[in-house]
Amino acid sequence: MVAPLSLLLIVAVTIRAALYRSSLAELIAERVEVVSPITAWKRVIEGLALLDLGVSPYSGDVFHETPLIIYLFHFLVDYAEITFMLADVITAVALYMAVKDFNKQVFRKQKFSVEAERYPADCLELIRSPTEMFYIPLKVAMFYLLNPFTILSCVAKSTCGLNNAVLSLFILTTIKGNVLLSAIFLCLATYQSIYPLTLCAPAMLYLMQHQYVPVNPRRAAFWWFLVQYLFMYLGSLFVIVCLSFFLLGSWDFLPSVYGFILSVPDLTPNIGLFWYFFAEMFEHFRLFFLCVFQINVFFYTVPLCIKLKDQPVFLMFMQLAVISIFKSYPTVGDTALYLAFLPVWSHLHRFLRNIFLVSCVLLACSALFPVLWHLWIYAGSANSNFYYAITLLFNVAQILLVSDYFYAFLRREHHLTAGLYLKKKDGSEATLVLK
Amino acid sequence: MKLLTLLSLFVTYLVTDCINIENTAGQFFSSGHTNNWAVLVCTSRFWFNYRHVANSLSVYRSVKRLGIPDSHIVLMLADDMACNHRNPKPATVFSHKNMELNVYGDDVEVDYRGYEVTVENFLRVLTGRLPPSTPRSKRLLSDDRSNILIYLTGHGGNGFLKFQDSEEISNVELADAFEQMWQKRRYNELLFIIDTCQGASMYERFYSPNIMALASSQVGEDSLSHQPDLAIGVHLMDRYTFYLLEFLEDIHPASKANMNDLFKVCPKSQCVSTPGHRTDLFQRDPGSVLITDFFGSVRKVEITTEVVNLTDPIEQVDESPANGEAREEMYSYVDQLPVSEIIHQKPKQKDWHPPDGFILGLWTLILLVFFKTYGVKHLKHIF
Repeated sequence: MVAPLSLLLIVAVTIRAALYRSSLAELIAERVEVVSPITAWKRVIEGLALLDLGVSPYSGDVFHETPLIIYLFHFLVDYAEITFMLADVITAVALYMAVKDFNKQVFRKQKFSVEAERYPADCLELIRSPTEMFYIPLKVAMFYLLNPFTILSCVAKSTCGLNNAVLSLFILTTIKGNVLLSAIFLCLATYQSIYPLTLCAPAMLYLMQHQYVPVNPRRAAFWWFLVQYLFMYLGSLFVIVCLSFFLLGSWDFLPSVYGFILSVPDLTPNIGLFWYFFAEMFEHFRLFFLCVFQINVFFYTVPLCIKLKDQPVFLMFMQLAVISIFKSYPTVGDTALYLAFLPVWSHLHRFLRNIFLVSCVLLACSALFPVLWHLWIYAGSANSNFYYAITLLFNVAQILLVSDYFYAFLRREHHLTAGLYLKKKDGSEATLVLK
Repeated sequence: MKLLTLLSLFVTYLVTDCINIENTAGQFFSSGHTNNWAVLVCTSRFWFNYRHVANSLSVYRSVKRLGIPDSHIVLMLADDMACNHRNPKPATVFSHKNMELNVYGDDVEVDYRGYEVTVENFLRVLTGRLPPSTPRSKRLLSDDRSNILIYLTGHGGNGFLKFQDSEEISNVELADAFEQMWQKRRYNELLFIIDTCQGASMYERFYSPNIMALASSQVGEDSLSHQPDLAIGVHLMDRYTFYLLEFLEDIHPASKANMNDLFKVCPKSQCVSTPGHRTDLFQRDPGSVLITDFFGSVRKVEITTEVVNLTDPIEQVDESPANGEAREEMYSYVDQLPVSEIIHQKPKQKDWHPPDGFILGLWTLILLVFFKTYGVKHLKHIF
């Protein structure tokens, strides 16, 4: 499978290089859907220029990246395009390897269950075969690399690509079962934007199952593993934050990076939900709604963990989706990461109910974003409500997509235990409802 | 006979030519300025502020009569009184009651009219920072040999002047604008006249050299208007500018009247308020400054066919200081460009580099993680 993967990588790199050389690069770099105040390349260059002039880049509201990004781009600013292409390649390869390993484990578990005859007789058609699972890793890599969202994000040189690379490396190391590396990559991802904190829970669940630690709060081994992982995670976070202090010699970066992400002072329109709401809000209620919106991101972790504690990888997918939808400055690059996972759940397609609606809405919204932006900002014949409506619709479609996959997943699990053709007590066909 | 007169005339001509023109050349540069500009601003709108427009127009009329051309006058009127609906005599603005003197005339050139008269535009005119599309008539194209007359009138208070009934310029802003003009060498000497309530507060903050300032009232006093005309229905002029206009009507281009006469214009008996002036920033003695140095555009011209050698410094024909005091320190222009640095090509300042401790710490951590993950056995292959 190396050859098709290499071919895919070459094709992806060619597309990106071609777009870099064309005049579209500046156009794309300005689009608010692709870059946000946290990830814009223009701000990275501005911060580095300020540093050359002897001013801290965190003074003022320009630069909101972490000091490690300063360090990275101080030496790589001339090779920025190669860096971002490399980040995309790393993400794709990491996802490829992760999904391959995951598929092996899924298949092995399935084999054990079949041999143990845990599945009812009529759901044989739900059982997956290696042939259908063979091309899934390649499809995942393809979904990521050839996704227009990713290409736009890479051409705009948005640091979201780097964030995606770190997250995918985290997923790879988690699935491979390496506790230390998983904690370290999660710490790096959290260090860059706070929201991957919620991925702590699925990672811990997965690693515990990988090491055959029973996921039972009453057992001591559970708590011991929790403490170990959290110690590694928080310890490396502490070390990275202290190291960042030594880069510039000041703690300025804490309010500039984390304060900015949490308190959302910049209300530039983007594809998220924060800007419109906070633009029209009275100062009196701002703190309250800020807390509500931020808690919304972290809130789904615990219920999802309880429901999906046996399938932590699906939980990771759902958490990634929740982060991408509800974070304070989302861009299409974040969406692209969790969309890359869809081929992994391709066996669920027979249970998906809204897939046509969702795909139509996503396509239409993606096309309408630049149109309504132009009408609002340049032509002046629309106003912010139009753009916000499309944003809202885009997010609703994403939520519908994720909840649809959730429903399909749970339904398949239910069928695997209760049989495919369900009958009510009186023998007529039963319907399943997701409560 | 005719030949003799012709010959004697020719000889006289030659003799006068033999007088070394260079000795008298110093007279031409005694005043220090080579061109004159005027910036006349009326900042009030609405019909009942007719008198402010009449103030500005009367000063405009005087400086134009004394020789400053329209290309060197920036006239800013915040409202159009001549064509106001309530003007019973359209196309006229009168300064004396019974419609004796029409200061509007038929050759008025207003450069900034109506809503263009804003604090921003005024400051941009003074400092020269106008967009490239601004026409020449709207620019103050002065240089370091220009004498500029700046006349402001309108409603003011302690430390501010109101523009268009909606914004203000403060005395600090004005002082800073003049300092910018000084640093950019945009004036040789500046005469600042203001006719508003508490006008003296506007010149309190000046700190640039070569500025002389006059105001119609002190801090805490109001400047009063002169006389209403019952046919037009509003007050036509302010007292200070009315008496200033009367004073200037007696000035002609060859007049030798000096600034001390100007300070005596409108005493308290006539003006009710106490006019004030400020000369401490001005280098020359006010008694030696001619009115026409600022209000007129007077050139000393003498036709000669001799060649004047300008490479040697011309000795100025200036009078000794009045009381024989030691001269004050000479003001000089600040260095605008770091010429010495540019000439000697100082090395470029170093770019920022991350501290060594940081790099060391980071790579140590990375190596530690690497060896932890892949086992310490690799170490023996390296060392």
